[in-house]
Amino acid sequence: MEADTQAHVAFFLTGRRTDAEPEPVEGLGLRPALLAGYRDLAALRYDFPLVLTARGGELERVQSLSAIFDEALTRVCTGAGAADAAALRHLGLRLEREIRGLVVGGFRGLLSAAWSAAAAAMESKGEAGPADRLRRLRAAVTVEGELADCDEALPARLVRHAWAAVQSRKAASFQRRLERLVLRLGEILEADFERSEAGRSAARLKASVGGGFAGAFDFDSLSRTLATARPRVAFSESRRRRISDLLATLRSQRFFSAPKSGGADSGVAEKPFEFQFASCGEALASLRGRMPALVALARAIVVAELEIEGLYSEARHDGLFRGFGDNGLDPQDLAAFPDYLVCVNASCLHGDEHAQLLEVLSSGLPIKVLLQIDDILEESPYGEGNLTTGTRSRQVASMAMGLNEVYVLQAPASHLYRFREPILRGLRLAGPALFSVYSGASGATSDLPPYVLAAAALESRAFPAFAYDPSAGPNWASRFTLEANPRLELDWPVQPLVYEDEQHQRVTVDLAFTLVDFVACDRRYARHLARVPRAKWNSHLIPVDEALSRERKGLPDSVPCLWMVDERDVLQRVLADERLLREARRCREMWHSLQELAGVHNSHAEALLARERRAWEARAQQELPAAVPIVTVASAPAPASSSARGVAPAAEANAGPERSPDESYIETQRCSTCNECTNINNKMFAYDSNKQAYIADLDAGTYAQLVEAAESCQVAAIHPGKPRNPREPDLDALQKRAAAFR
Amino acid sequence: MTTNATECLLQLCDEQFQLEDYQSGVPRWCSGCGDNAILAAVQRLCRDEALRPEKTVFVSGIGCSSRFPHYMKTYGFHGIHGRALPVAEGVKMARPDLTVFVNTGDGDCCSIGAAHWIHAIRYNMNLTVFLHDNQIYGLTKKQASPTSPIGTKSNTTPRGSYLEALNPVSVTLGVQNVSFVAQAVDWIPEVLFDIVKAAYHHRGLSFVRIVQRCPEWLPKSFDPWLHDPNRVQILAHANGLHPSAALSRTYKNQLEHDPSNIHRARELAGDSVNIPVGILYRNPEVPCYEDLIRPDLLRTPELTRSVLDSEMDKYTIWP
Ligand SMILES: Cc1ncc(C[n+]2csc(CCOP(=O)(O)OP(=O)(O)O)c2C)c(N)n1
Ligand code: SF4
Ligand SMILES: [Mg+2]
Repeated sequence: MEADTQAHVAFFLTGRRTDAEPEPVEGLGLRPALLAGYRDLAALRYDFPLVLTARGGELERVQSLSAIFDEALTRVCTGAGAADAAALRHLGLRLEREIRGLVVGGFRGLLSAAWSAAAAAMESKGEAGPADRLRRLRAAVTVEGELADCDEALPARLVRHAWAAVQSRKAASFQRRLERLVLRLGEILEADFERSEAGRSAARLKASVGGGFAGAFDFDSLSRTLATARPRVAFSESRRRRISDLLATLRSQRFFSAPKSGGADSGVAEKPFEFQFASCGEALASLRGRMPALVALARAIVVAELEIEGLYSEARHDGLFRGFGDNGLDPQDLAAFPDYLVCVNASCLHGDEHAQLLEVLSSGLPIKVLLQIDDILEESPYGEGNLTTGTRSRQVASMAMGLNEVYVLQAPASHLYRFREPILRGLRLAGPALFSVYSGASGATSDLPPYVLAAAALESRAFPAFAYDPSAGPNWASRFTLEANPRLELDWPVQPLVYEDEQHQRVTVDLAFTLVDFVACDRRYARHLARVPRAKWNSHLIPVDEALSRERKGLPDSVPCLWMVDERDVLQRVLADERLLREARRCREMWHSLQELAGVHNSHAEALLARERRAWEARAQQELPAAVPIVTVASAPAPASSSARGVAPAAEANAGPERSPDESYIETQRCSTCNECTNINNKMFAYDSNKQAYIADLDAGTYAQLVEAAESCQVAAIHPGKPRNPREPDLDALQKRAAAFR
Repeated sequence: MTTNATECLLQLCDEQFQLEDYQSGVPRWCSGCGDNAILAAVQRLCRDEALRPEKTVFVSGIGCSSRFPHYMKTYGFHGIHGRALPVAEGVKMARPDLTVFVNTGDGDCCSIGAAHWIHAIRYNMNLTVFLHDNQIYGLTKKQASPTSPIGTKSNTTPRGSYLEALNPVSVTLGVQNVSFVAQAVDWIPEVLFDIVKAAYHHRGLSFVRIVQRCPEWLPKSFDPWLHDPNRVQILAHANGLHPSAALSRTYKNQLEHDPSNIHRARELAGDSVNIPVGILYRNPEVPCYEDLIRPDLLRTPELTRSVLDSEMDKYTIWP
């Protein structure tokens, strides 16, 4: 083994450098070569910044700046007279970039403010073009809202924003319902009053007629007359009290703010409850404290509906409602009430809080938890042991999935925009939800901005994105999805790296982006990396994914090596030590188990398949006489096609009992309720519960009537059969007529 | 598992109805009149679906058939000649919670009410409409109606009617937003019931033309079909009618027809030899007018007052 390679192998195995070579990477400002293109985020067009708006459908409340500009440009450029479409497009994209630059530089505030600042900046640089063009563009942008970049605050901002949209829709429908109940209950009480003595008093009657005709009636005698007409249905005192109590409960509820219009008589409503919390413990405590009020309100709503429908019966319902909610409320009942939102940071998730998070998730209660993780590479508390690469936080998400009824979404912040819909789904669903989000904002541990770091975490499988939706179906196939990850079927996603070599030739290599690439972005792990100078590059340096797939026996003769770039985008090759490789292997194992959950490379299925294939091959071996050539299986004869026109009548089976021609009967199913037979003799012929005729009593009439009925029946469903009384006159003639209906 | 109290309540409130719960008075129709069969089928539907009488409305126009609401122990509105549909639409608009049925005659619907008919189809409100088509004005004692076959002798056409009859099924299938069209004959109760039921379950305007015999004024009119079961063509389909074995023994002329195929439905409707019986067309995707415009506002006394005030203000002379 050459001396260079020996030094490389030594570093790989021990993580120590004996000589000057390989060199330390500290201070070189290296980043994975595949991330070279993401240096200036302001110059890139991507999902961020986002605009959080207060109007529109729940999904439209979060929009990406690029999408807003695309839409506005389509609108102005396709508009009539847009002869300067190309110039407009150029201006628009330039402005978008200026705004993005502002946001990357730390600007926070409304889109309109950023717009003005960006336009002013462009103007001062003389890049704004004619004022009219900018004005037209501005007019085409109808969206307004706070700008949000991919930073530490983003996960909580976004989830809170979506949560608020869902809650406001809930509130609106709840308030409508409440308003209706209050109105209708009020009307019931009012109607009761109108029937009471006070309601019929002369003064009251006079007041209700109004001033114009006050002299036209004798209200006293009107009142006296009305007093004699007692209301038929007495209104019990207990009902009156019940309705008043219901009204009081409905009006004093604090789960939603009071409906705007109903304010007139709703008294001084107390401040509505708070539903956002910074810890699971607080949320649980509040929820428990409010449970009695919630049960009372839920009961009031059900009772009020019954009262309004006039269905409330004291005998039947009083007892039932006394125990209402004793067994807890059903998730579907809870679903109408506001959900709790807890935003916690994983760094605070110690001891009690961790236990309470588990309690929340396993409770089935409508609590939505955002678990924000800022650092997935924190050093293990046990020093040189395993890295914790996302394991701690990932534990929570996988464990939540194990609970079976928790909605779980894991995603890095960079992908939250694309996950708007799954986020909303989790928020809309009844019951608990966990959103586990890696923000990428790990502070001073990396030179990369949070967006790039978060995206790199997804790309490297360090923080895969997945969703588990218990409402989507009965099994994992329908509930679990891993779709958002690149190249699901592979261990690591592969991307082409294009660079220029010393001879200025374009070279393309396919690189896998592995966990080691992601770890290499983090300063804390620099000592596990070492740069190999250009002169020492040789064929013993192999990509990390290849090193991972090789089985090692004895001393290695090749070492894993990363492709990285320095601050001037010069290509570098960097050794990784065995410790990082070990981590990558663990990460790959975890990825494999996720793949299995998603049905990718399912081990059970593959084992089964292999067994079947072996069995099939064995059978084929036995059955194939040596010389006979393999023939493709002839396709089965086409099923006898049912005649093009007309379907075969249904099977003759269960087509009704066979009748003797001597029997007297009606084909009841064919009776068309024409009253002909019942008008002839309604004792002999009667209707069944479907109002179709049958022979109720043969002895209740004559054979002549039976024959007459058969003749009048329009659908010939009556069969007179043989006469019962041989002494009836004219039997011969009657039997001849009856023969037509045998 | 927790049992929730509201569930128990629903069970407790489940009510059992009998046919008698929907019967009111003795129909004044002639014996043998097809309206009796329609009444029986509809009462059966109400019972089987446990429609609460106080939540159900039958709206009609004028004619023998329009006496229908009198014989139902539900709410009813025996309206004005030709105006059953607009009245029903008003009821539905004000009280979307009610189940609204419409009974209308061929004169009522296709003659004086024709304009309302076309627009009601286009509005596609959630109503179930039964056209009792006896091809004659019955109540006024035999005048030709738009659906009377050419040559029909009547008090207004003593030498026989001159015009080809209007085909109400073809017309309905030609109007925009049509969402459910079926045809039944009063003398096959099983199919009549199945169609009435399918019509009730369709959300949108379900239009059912029921060929109805009038033994008084056109006693022989339907004899060719009545006496030759093969001239009644049963339209069967997995998404339509499933004729029973007993029925299939009598009615052997059956055709597989997919109710989602409007072109085929239009072709079938034009058949002048056979009467196609079954669900010709059904499209549950057509939106209902009441869903498109349903106001979010609750009709509070304040709202009523403010709307009235603003109406009144139009006539105020301001100083
Ligand atoms: C505005 C108005 N025009 C005319 C009449 C007279 N009229 C009463 S019923 C009727 C026709 C009813 O025929 P149809 O609708 O087919 O009902 P049927 O009696 O056949 O069931 C007419 C023209 C009326 N009542 N009102
Ligand atoms: S006249 Fe005709 S439509 Fe009217 S009740 Fe008699 S049979 Fe029925
Ligand atoms: Mg008629």
